[in-house]
Amino acid sequence: MSEYDVVVIGAGNGGLTAACSLAQRGMKTLLLERHNIPGGCATSFCRGRFEFEVALHQLSGLGTADKPGPLRFVLDNLGVLDRVEWVVMENLYRVLIPGQLDITLKADREAVITTLQEKFPDESDRIKDFFDLVYKFCLEFFSMSRDPNANPETYPTYFQYALKTTQEILDQFFVNPLLKMAVSVYWGYVGVPPAQLSFSDIAILLFAYIELKPFHIKGGSQALSNAILEKYYEADGEARFNCGVSKILVEDGRVTGVVTEAGDTIKTDYVVSNASTLSVYTELIDPEHVPDSQLKILGGSTIGPSALTLFIGLDCEPAQVGIDETTNFLGTTTDTNKVFSSTKKVDIEDEYVLLTCYNISDPDSSPPGTSQVVIVDLKYGEPWLEIPPHQYYDKKYELANKLLDRIEKLFPGFREHIEEIEVATPITHMRFLGTPGGAIYGFDQYAKDSNMFVSPRSPIKGLFFAGAWAGMGGFQPTLSSGVAAARAVLRDRKKKAEVRE
Amino acid sequence: MKAEVKESIAGYNEISRELEICRKYGIDYTAQKGKWKTAVERLHPKRLQLRVARIIKETDSTSTLRLVADSGYLPPFQAGQYINVFVEIDGVRTARPYSISSPPNQIAYYDITIRRVPDGFVSSYLLDRVKVGDTLESTGPAGNFFYNPLNHGKDLVFLAGGSGITPFMSMIREVTDRLLDRKIHLLYGCRSKQEAIFHEELRERAANYTNFTYDLVISDENVGDGALTGLLDADLIRNQIGDVSGKTFYLCGPQEMYSFCIPELRKLGVPERRIRQEVFGSPSKVHLDPAWPKEIAPDAVFTAKLSSGQKITARAVEPLLIALEKAGIAVENSCRSGECSMCRVKLLNGKVFQTSSAKIRQSDRQAGYIHSCAAYPISDIEIML
Repeated sequence: MSEYDVVVIGAGNGGLTAACSLAQRGMKTLLLERHNIPGGCATSFCRGRFEFEVALHQLSGLGTADKPGPLRFVLDNLGVLDRVEWVVMENLYRVLIPGQLDITLKADREAVITTLQEKFPDESDRIKDFFDLVYKFCLEFFSMSRDPNANPETYPTYFQYALKTTQEILDQFFVNPLLKMAVSVYWGYVGVPPAQLSFSDIAILLFAYIELKPFHIKGGSQALSNAILEKYYEADGEARFNCGVSKILVEDGRVTGVVTEAGDTIKTDYVVSNASTLSVYTELIDPEHVPDSQLKILGGSTIGPSALTLFIGLDCEPAQVGIDETTNFLGTTTDTNKVFSSTKKVDIEDEYVLLTCYNISDPDSSPPGTSQVVIVDLKYGEPWLEIPPHQYYDKKYELANKLLDRIEKLFPGFREHIEEIEVATPITHMRFLGTPGGAIYGFDQYAKDSNMFVSPRSPIKGLFFAGAWAGMGGFQPTLSSGVAAARAVLRDRKKKAEVRE
Repeated sequence: MKAEVKESIAGYNEISRELEICRKYGIDYTAQKGKWKTAVERLHPKRLQLRVARIIKETDSTSTLRLVADSGYLPPFQAGQYINVFVEIDGVRTARPYSISSPPNQIAYYDITIRRVPDGFVSSYLLDRVKVGDTLESTGPAGNFFYNPLNHGKDLVFLAGGSGITPFMSMIREVTDRLLDRKIHLLYGCRSKQEAIFHEELRERAANYTNFTYDLVISDENVGDGALTGLLDADLIRNQIGDVSGKTFYLCGPQEMYSFCIPELRKLGVPERRIRQEVFGSPSKVHLDPAWPKEIAPDAVFTAKLSSGQKITARAVEPLLIALEKAGIAVENSCRSGECSMCRVKLLNGKVFQTSSAKIRQSDRQAGYIHSCAAYPISDIEIML
């Protein structure tokens, strides 16, 4: 029977950085991945002459050498920062509601304010005030997170606003619903509408993208996944692909090993799971070892959205169909509650659609004279279970067709230039990610589900989590979560060693 | 942050109470065990256990195996897709992808139609040794060669060569059986009428359905036997189908057919997006590929060293995947044509020849990953599985 210091389950963002970080600190580490390739969401696939990015749209938190963001330190410590080529985006996004709103915001505080003021002159002062609040809030938040004696007197803005809903603040500052929409569309990156999204989340998103700019990666997120795995191998880490885990072994409340789907038993004192907390507690660990209290905690959270995603290769330059921005949020209404309720249905109604055309920022995203376009429509997985299997393909194309109708109106000629198109439904995401509901951000990310209220720590000794299900979704949070999990394992080992002495 | 400090964040206590209530009336996720996995597996099972229910002789060299599911349930597929059938022959576990020739509307069985490949390891086994009642294991349906209603239009031209008729058979049967609003014109290239698989059925369907036209094209002019003769070149295609605009062309057949027909279609002004081609196994004579390194003789044999330390022999003209299988090393695989990347391995040292059909991700290419089904050793190599 083989034995490792740590077994990492899943080679998604969090699993990769956890494994890499552990191996680099001398841990004998085994990384197990059920799929044939590392990355989880952070991957790509080929169709015809195109290679499609699966998940990364705008990477947050990286920043530049002169103005580094927190993710830069994480990746630099792992040694992967220079192993991939970064592509900076100058703009945040374009928001478009036909006949009502069309505005493009630059990733620059002054420019954002000026552009919004020109469009909404009546609310000029309040636009400035809103961004003053966003900045003040974030700066307080960042110094506070390093301050062991945080208190409401030193950080009044944080203590007053952190848990307010985004909608409350939007309503407090602005009148025009179009303006409210223009500053809050990033809620789509969390999957929680303004009425429920904490102000903290939207403020940090805005601040991070404006100050540190959004990034992409040459060769897509697969290049980063490959680079982290490469560093892992260089640190003598071992990995097995096409190797799912069927069981985490627990004795007396402590992890003792894992069993692979092929039936191999591997001994270990530590498991870092990049697989969801849901799968771990309800499927991978025998029920007698899972405390009821832990199931109760899980029961308080709901599975977050998946997506209907269209991966499209056009046989023309983006400009030929009128696409001139990388990131486009396309809406039909400013009623975000209506928008959000659409995500819970199979059919296309009023949801926002994100259209990303990578070529605008990186002309190498597809062969010369072509474009890579990815269209994302957040959709919950649950309603898809109702579709009989033999109607699945018809339904999938019917919905994709409806989305294309909407796109065609905004970008005339789009449909005629489609050379490749692949449709991924929530079921497709379930298949390749293995997450409950095909969820792409883990549990719904309401304030009550954040680490402020729910501890990511497991009652089972030796079990740690990395990835969206034990924290926040998205690239920056999941990449960072693995390193944090690795640190927690090392701390625990040290403590155990001290106790022994 | 200490709990009592957290409580002074405005709204903290309200959200704590909300959380308490959510947990009190929470979801019992243990009751949902297996829910999502089941949903995926009814569409995309990793493996199917199939029983041979009937064997139908199609031509002298071709038979159809009619396969039913032991479980009684077969997942849906898109006409044109294949299943990869696993076999163990004399101790060697290998697999071959076969297009499903029955239509998706036939949910009781999958037909796979197998033509004997001269000296074919797997085709001979399936044709000569498999009997009614035998069980075969396969992947779920897979592949990217199918009709996509989003961008293929309604006017389709199929260019089939030899056993390349099989995915088209599924598409033709579906469109005619279901009376779908699509037009199909099939140009089927064969060496002789005797070799044309499904010839009678195709003729019948063409006679009964106005939206399906069938032309058999015999390459050998001496055995034309009333059919069209010649190659599927620009002139023949233009004569048979007329104006190419708005039509989508599908190709399935041997490698040589693609190298010949695609330039002919370009000559006719068919845009790239209107040409769809099926990947179709590994080339039978890879050393005849124009890009093949001349200095490597077709009978060259090399050593492949695995990260476990094990060494195996690997012939230059044989896909690395097959060398691994012959050595008893299991590597996951599906398309066996370079496309799906299931058999991806890392090349640590040495050189391989990769066919142009191998679709390798850009960052994989840079990091030295290869698809072992479409990689041919041209030196001693070292690989990591």
